[in-house]
Amino acid sequence: MTRAFLAACALAGISACSSSYSDPLPAQAVRHRVKTADGWDLSLVKYPPVGTTRGRPVLLCHGVGANDRSMDLDDRHSLARWFAAHGRETWTMSLRATGDSDRPDPKAGRPSGYDFDTLWRQDVAAAVAYVRAQTGGGPIDYVGHSMGGMLIYAYLSQGGQGLGAVATLGSPTRLDWGGAIEPLVEGVGEVAVNGRWLLPLALSSHLSAGLQATLEDGPIQLIFYNPKNVEPATWARLAAIGTADISGAVALQLLGLMRTGAFGSADGTLDYRKDLGKVRTPVLVVAAKLDRIAVTPAVKDGFRALGGEKEWFLAGQESGAEADYGHLDLVVGERASTEIFPRLLDFFDRHAGSGGLPRP
Amino acid sequence: MFHRKLTASDGTALALYRWVPAGGGSAHPPLLLVPELGFGRETFDFGDGGLAAYLVERGREVYVIELRGQGQSAAPPGWRLRDLVERDLPEAVAAIRASRPGPIDLVAHGYSGTLALAAAVRELDGAVGRVIALSTPAVPEVPNSTAEAFLAGGGKLASLAGDPAGARAFDLLFARGANIAPPRHALLRSTAVSDLSPAAAADLLGWMRTGDLALADASTVQARLARYTRPTLLVLPIGDAFAHPEHASALRDLSRAPIVPLLLNRRDWMAEDYTHLSMLAGSGAPADVFAPALAFLDGKAPVAGGGAGASR
Repeated sequence: MTRAFLAACALAGISACSSSYSDPLPAQAVRHRVKTADGWDLSLVKYPPVGTTRGRPVLLCHGVGANDRSMDLDDRHSLARWFAAHGRETWTMSLRATGDSDRPDPKAGRPSGYDFDTLWRQDVAAAVAYVRAQTGGGPIDYVGHSMGGMLIYAYLSQGGQGLGAVATLGSPTRLDWGGAIEPLVEGVGEVAVNGRWLLPLALSSHLSAGLQATLEDGPIQLIFYNPKNVEPATWARLAAIGTADISGAVALQLLGLMRTGAFGSADGTLDYRKDLGKVRTPVLVVAAKLDRIAVTPAVKDGFRALGGEKEWFLAGQESGAEADYGHLDLVVGERASTEIFPRLLDFFDRHAGSGGLPRP
Repeated sequence: MFHRKLTASDGTALALYRWVPAGGGSAHPPLLLVPELGFGRETFDFGDGGLAAYLVERGREVYVIELRGQGQSAAPPGWRLRDLVERDLPEAVAAIRASRPGPIDLVAHGYSGTLALAAAVRELDGAVGRVIALSTPAVPEVPNSTAEAFLAGGGKLASLAGDPAGARAFDLLFARGANIAPPRHALLRSTAVSDLSPAAAADLLGWMRTGDLALADASTVQARLARYTRPTLLVLPIGDAFAHPEHASALRDLSRAPIVPLLLNRRDWMAEDYTHLSMLAGSGAPADVFAPALAFLDGKAPVAGGGAGASR
C-alpha cells in the first residue's frame, strides 16, 4: 500500500514536472478537422499570415513518432509561426493517431495496423486537398520533416498533385547503411513490434520529459540531436508535447526499408525511389551533417532519384551554421529560425510561379 | 621500413615504402596504401603508429606509394590527375608484383583513392584483390566554399598551415572536432602536406563541379566505376568535410561491386564523428576503422563500432 502510494506520488510528480513544458497554441491559431477518405478525422491547425499575405499557403508535416507540435513547439521554436510571420498562411497537420487526430477505434471503423502507404494515400492526400480547398484551390507549398518528407516523396512519385514547391528536412530514402545500431533495431523491432499495435512512445516521452531536461549528451540525445544546437529544455518540451505513438505497421515497413534498402510500398508493387524520377515539382532537399537517423547518404539517395528541378542544402558549419545539425535540430534547433527556415522560404519564393508541373 | 625509388613511364621519380612483418614473409596478399592528394606516407605512418604499423603487426606486407606531387616523390610541373591513373599507380603495382606475383589488396584514401578504383578496371585490371575505400567520392561535388576557394587558389595545401585563417580552413576540411593527438595533428598540417600542381587543382575542382573526370583513354572516372567489380569496404566518416560521405556512397549504385558500407559515427558507439584525417589519425581509429578493415581483408564481416573495442 505504502509502495503503491509512493509510486503514485512519484508518477504524479513526474507528470506534473513534464506538464510544466506544455505550451498553448498561439491565440491566432485556428483548429480544423478534415476527414480522410477512409473515415479518420485529422487535426489541422491554421496560422494566419501576419501582415500582408505573401506567396502560397504552406503545409507542414511532422515525422514518425511526432505530432504537429514539433512544427510549433513554442514561440522560439516554431516553423509554423515563423512562416506566418513572414506572410505565409501556414498549416500544420497531425497524421492519424498523433496529436489531436483520431486514435484507432475498430468499432468506429478505424482499425489499427495502418502502414506508411496509408499515411500518404489517405492523410497527406486529405490534408493537401483540404488546405487547397480552404485557400482558393491553387497549389500549396509543403515542408516535411523526416518521415513527413518521405511521405511527400511517395505522394509525388505516384502522381500526387496540388503542390507548387516542396522542402524535405532530413528525409531518407535508403536506410541500409549497415550501422551497428541497425541489426539491433531490426532484431528488437521484429520481435517487439506487432503490426496491429501502437508503440506507446508518447506516454513514456511525456513522463520522462523532466529527466530529459537534465541530460545534455546521453545516448538518446546523441541520436536525435546535436546538443550544440538544441538546449535540454527544448528537447524536454519536445518530449513532453511533440511526440506520438507509432503504428506497428509503420515501424515494420520502415524496418523492411532498413533491411532491403528499397523505398517502396509494403506490398512491393510500388517503387517510390524509381518513380521519383517522374516528379516535376521543385524540391529542396535539406540534409543535416550530423544526422544519425537520416544520414547524409540516405538523404542524398532521394535527392539523386528526383527527376525535376531540385536543390540540395547541407546544414552544418561548412555552410555557415554555428554548429553541425542533427536530425531534430532542423525544426527545433535554437538557431533554425536564422540558419534553416529562411532557406525554405527563399526556395519557395524563387519557385512562386510553379504550380505543380505536369508529369512527362 | 624500406624505401625505394621507382621511375614512372615519363621519368618521374616516385617513392615506394615497404614494411615487412616480423619473421619475413606473409601468407596474405600484399597491401598497397594510396594516400590522399596533397598528403603523403605520414597519413598511414605517424612514427608512433598508424594503419601501416597496425597491418604489419598483424602479419601483412604493406606498401605505401607516394604519387607524383606527394611527399618524397617528384612533382613535375603541370602534372595532372590522370597521370596518377595512367603512370604512377601502374608503376607501383608492377614493382610490387615483380617480387610478389598475384593480386594486391588496396587501401585507397580520398580522391586519389577514387582514381585508384578507376585504375582497377583498366591499368590495374586483374591485379587488385579486395579494397578498403576510405572516403572515395564516386560522384564528387564541391563540398563547401572553403574547398572551392582552396582549389581555385591553386591547391596550395602546404601553405594552409602558415597562417591562422589557413589553419582554420585546414581544420574545417580535414580534422574539425577530431580527436587527433597534437603531435600527429601538427605533423599532418606541416611536413605531411604538399601543394597540388595548379593543373591538378583545376582538375580536382572541375571533377567536383561536374561530378566526373575525363581520362586519357576517352573514358571517365564514372564510366570506369560503372565497370568496377572489386569487393570493397566503403568507409564513410560522417564528419568528412572534404569528401562527403554522400558523395562516396554513390559507388553503391554506380558500380557492380559487392560493397559493404561502414559508416563512422558516434551513434554506432564509435569514439568520434570521424573526419577525412581522423579516420586514419584519430585515437579511436585502430578499433573503429583499422580492425573492421582488417576483418574485411581477411574475408570476414567487418564489425562496425569497434571490431576490436578492447584495444581502445
